[in-house]
Amino acid sequence: MNQFIFDIAVMLDNTQWSTLLHESYYMYNWVESTHVLTLVLCLGMLFLIDLRMLGYAFPGVPASSIADRLNMPMLIGFIVMFITGILLFYAVPVRTSQSVWFRFKMVLLVAAAVNAFMFHKRMNESVSTWDNDAKAPSAVRMGAILSLTFWSIIVIFGRFIAYDWFDCEYTDAGSLSQLLSGCINGQAQF
Amino acid sequence: MSTAINSESNSYTKTITVAVLLALLLIFSFTSLRHETWLRLYEFFLWLETTPFGVIGKTWGAVFAVVEAVHLLAMALLGGAVIVSDARLLGWCFTEVPAGEIQDRAHKVFKIGLAVVLFTGVFMACGVAGKIYWLPVFWYKMLALATGIFFVFFIRRPMLKRDLDELNPRVVKLVAISSLLVWATVAATGRWIGFAGS
Repeated sequence: MNQFIFDIAVMLDNTQWSTLLHESYYMYNWVESTHVLTLVLCLGMLFLIDLRMLGYAFPGVPASSIADRLNMPMLIGFIVMFITGILLFYAVPVRTSQSVWFRFKMVLLVAAAVNAFMFHKRMNESVSTWDNDAKAPSAVRMGAILSLTFWSIIVIFGRFIAYDWFDCEYTDAGSLSQLLSGCINGQAQF
Repeated sequence: MSTAINSESNSYTKTITVAVLLALLLIFSFTSLRHETWLRLYEFFLWLETTPFGVIGKTWGAVFAVVEAVHLLAMALLGGAVIVSDARLLGWCFTEVPAGEIQDRAHKVFKIGLAVVLFTGVFMACGVAGKIYWLPVFWYKMLALATGIFFVFFIRRPMLKRDLDELNPRVVKLVAISSLLVWATVAATGRWIGFAGS
């Protein structure tokens, strides 16, 4: 599996667009800035929805109204964030695919997606009975707490990707770090 | 009658205060005062690196990285509050809810986000004070942040405490768009500090 991921990453790395994106100071930085700005949009909306369910934000506004209105900007932010995230990966595919933080982040993204699905399912099933309550029922609140936790850790791990603490070339062969990062041939190629 | 006169004189006082502040800002910007102040601040920035925040930030990279992430999360919270309250002013959402209700609730969230952004921002600045001092984009960010804070607490909030129906809808929309632009500039220039410093 690691060999397969590595081969794909090397193939992407060998394309001209990957090099151009990586080497272009302004283009790369604009893509990363857009990633961060849309993260503010997406997570800003997500936090307000979750905090509403917990009773900390807009308790006087119906929960379904908050969720319905903020879902669209949140999704728009997520889509742009996702596209720019793919571009950031494409610019530095080998190192990123062998980053332990990136791998954790991807697992947490899947967990956050499953939680979001469950959260909306639980909410839509029962919202009519508690829509105007300051706090949502405990099952929905748990989903909101999980969402806040997952996304906070996703942002922290996303920030950690920039640091080289556990890069393959700086860790011992056969170590746990190398195992989790799926290190193959060090990271001579970027 | 006396209330109307008081309110009118109060609004004149505010206008004159803003005009004086703008004049002072222009004098500061277009004279040697700006450069002299900048030179004097160098010692202060070097001192910042010796404070506990500066030492922690420089010594433990992981702590610095976590604080960076918390800064970003707080910026998301602040951004969310700004977007929702400005979108309400522009009539894009929650039009069935009184504008005052949305503004008051959003402002509470905004203040929490701003407090965390400022605290984590000061921490990060202490760790790299000697470097950011030389970056023009850092000063642009500080200018944008100061503008944003001034705008929120001295223009936007006082204006929104009044009955919105009394205000010109174009002015309300202009304030909402200005608010969105100012905070987007704060976020964008903040991110660019990282690029300029690397």
